[in-house]
Amino acid sequence: MNIKNAFPVTPSTILRLALVGVFDIAVLSLIRQLLDDGNYPLSAILGVVIVIITLCYSLEKLRYYRWLGVSIAAATLFVLYPILYTIYLSTTNAGYGHILTKHEAVEFLERQQYVPESGQQYTWTAYRSLETSDDYLLWLQAEDDTTYLTGIGTATKPASIGADGVGAADDKGIPLTIQGYQRLEKRDTVAIIDQLGEIAFGVAPDIIRITGLSAAATTQQRYRYDSDSDTLTDAETGLVYHPVEGVFETDDGQELPPGFRVGVGLHNFERFFASSALRGPLVRIISWNFAYAILSVFFGFALGLFIAVLFDTLPGKEIIRALLIIPYPIPALVSILIWRNLLNPDFGALVSLQESIFGTAPNWLTDPMWTRIAIIIINMWLSYPYFYIVSSGALQAIPTDMLDAAAVDGANAWQRFVKIILPLLLKIVSPLLVASFAFNFNNFNLIYIFNQGNPPIAGSPIPAGHTDILISFVYRLAFNSAISDYGLGASISIVLFLFVAAITWGQFRYTRVMEDQNA
Amino acid sequence: MTDIQTHSTQLASTDFQQPKFSLNYQQRRWLGYIIRYIIAAILIVFAFVPVVWVVSASFNPSGSLVSVEVIPKNPGLGNYCGLFENDYYPFVKWIRNSFIVATASTLLSVTSTAVSAYGLSRFRFYGRKVLMRAILVISIFPAALSIIALYTTFQQVGNHVGILGLNSHVSLILIYSSGALSINVFLVKGYLDSIPLEIEESALVDGATHAQIFRMITLPLAKPILITISVLTFMAIYGDFVLPRVLLQSSDKFTVMVGLYLFQSADYAQNWGVFTAGAVIAALPILVIYMLLQRYIIGGLTAGAVKL
Repeated sequence: MNIKNAFPVTPSTILRLALVGVFDIAVLSLIRQLLDDGNYPLSAILGVVIVIITLCYSLEKLRYYRWLGVSIAAATLFVLYPILYTIYLSTTNAGYGHILTKHEAVEFLERQQYVPESGQQYTWTAYRSLETSDDYLLWLQAEDDTTYLTGIGTATKPASIGADGVGAADDKGIPLTIQGYQRLEKRDTVAIIDQLGEIAFGVAPDIIRITGLSAAATTQQRYRYDSDSDTLTDAETGLVYHPVEGVFETDDGQELPPGFRVGVGLHNFERFFASSALRGPLVRIISWNFAYAILSVFFGFALGLFIAVLFDTLPGKEIIRALLIIPYPIPALVSILIWRNLLNPDFGALVSLQESIFGTAPNWLTDPMWTRIAIIIINMWLSYPYFYIVSSGALQAIPTDMLDAAAVDGANAWQRFVKIILPLLLKIVSPLLVASFAFNFNNFNLIYIFNQGNPPIAGSPIPAGHTDILISFVYRLAFNSAISDYGLGASISIVLFLFVAAITWGQFRYTRVMEDQNA
Repeated sequence: MTDIQTHSTQLASTDFQQPKFSLNYQQRRWLGYIIRYIIAAILIVFAFVPVVWVVSASFNPSGSLVSVEVIPKNPGLGNYCGLFENDYYPFVKWIRNSFIVATASTLLSVTSTAVSAYGLSRFRFYGRKVLMRAILVISIFPAALSIIALYTTFQQVGNHVGILGLNSHVSLILIYSSGALSINVFLVKGYLDSIPLEIEESALVDGATHAQIFRMITLPLAKPILITISVLTFMAIYGDFVLPRVLLQSSDKFTVMVGLYLFQSADYAQNWGVFTAGAVIAALPILVIYMLLQRYIIGGLTAGAVKL
């Protein structure tokens, strides 16, 4: 490869460095905001991405990495990080009621205000700035008829008619005009009352907030967090809260929502492997998961191979092949939805056909056994064209002279198939069969779209279905139930990761994907 | 048994077996053909039942109740009209969303796959083997397994940068195109390895930069493999369900797969006919692509490209 000057300063170099700079600045500002949320894992990985991009595209020594830098950064962020973050989530109680980080929960609670008994009560009138639409002033009348003026971020001051730009009063003693501001009538404020209610007028600690259509009051921050003792104190009631398992709690057990995420160690894995309440449903799910993956590959491959062998020499096989391949180019989701409709017990066309022939039809969507059979049949329909394509490719690779020799030696057709064709073919396609097994083991789409893992398993402590596989159970845990148990869901995902890794590791030992032909 | 026997009679160029039946060779051959044609017919029926049913139902105006009749009594386009005039289910928008997401993701992903593969194929640098191993390791995990992490991460980022949050096509496109460092890199790299280096070397001598060589020499030569992975990537993303189902939240952002799913689960019996029309339309783009580019797809499958 050609060697250029040590420091070539060309327009393209300048452009490249400028782009790196812009990228770094944009990501750094995002990191700053994420750090404010207390989101350290994502901040850290974004930092890694900045380092990768900056080094790859600025150091001359790493110039070959310019071909890969963007891809490496993207894969780090969107493939590697989610895996690492899943590991993190699996060790937390993240889920319903525990979505926020502790930092975010404290921040949320510290924003809560209350009206102390000593707090001054006012009636208010709002004035909107003539220049910006989100700047307001409040004219306040206390119960003792003293009047004040307060604004956003400006201290509350006594004010009176005629002074400091305050214009003439109406019959209730409320100024008609204030310099630079326009008075809002009550009917106008009704429309923006929610917006006004969010605004903190005055300066801390004497924050004034609107508490009703005409009432305002001095409010104070209700909860204060003390980071040394790690406690939250309620200024109104005097109660002291301690963080207990992801929620602030008083000593006598009163909880203060929202909760937050805390580490629970291996508790989720413990639940997965050892919880006696979950064991029943989980054993069902896992054994069906294996049966589903194995049977799907077996029947799909068997039918595909059968077609490849049977029609290999048949006149007109091109037409037969073109017709039989039809399930392949139809998006799987569309096919599965159609099958679901065909097997619908109330008006499915196949069900009424079965009824008219046999007088009765199995319930394909509510009977666990028949739902499973339907899923295997549908998956055979979906996958045999793939195996057919692959097998007929592999058949071409089997030398015909071996078959001829076997025929000469008196082997019949079945013997030739079992003793020669099948072993050679299996050797060629076995990596694909393993990959297909791994794919089907996590084939969420078929399970979820056909019947959402249903029919449900009765008596399961966490909703689960008879046709759920682990990944659809994860989906159910995270997105489909009132529990939203991200922690347990993530820990099952980790188990699946390890399983896929083990299968693929075994498979890679037999493939030559790492080979360099020009090395 | 009989069919396999007759089959292999064809496979072997000469047959020295003693005839076991009283039929002669010609008759046995014809019997074999007939049996195999019958099996082919049965299988074709099996393959086509859902297809014929959905197409026929989509032209059947009696929308809500579907009979078993194959050719509807008075076929019409009513279901298709109903599909395009439905305000509550913006079907045209869904199709457009699917095309935007799948096209953008495919372009980005194939571009970065090609660039990465060129880097891995043409240069020898420190850490190259480790990097290739790392690509293999992280590419084996399907995105569906990290769905919880993806959801919560995009939720967190979305609080600050809306376009990188939930309910955004940009987020979806980024996830899809980040999968570029996958087994596809090795397919393209293998292909590039097999292209002779002489042309590129002479271009280097003539003063071309690697970027120019990549654009003007290597890319055109690698066109077949790039088309193959583009088609397979496009098909996979167009048909994907779980990611858009979890990340997209409002009806006007849905891809056609998510839309079709919700459409049929929401108004099950009422929209029967309209659903079948939707299913036909949703499947059509991929069917057309498949018919036009069949040889690339089948070539890719036998080469071991990943089918999602």
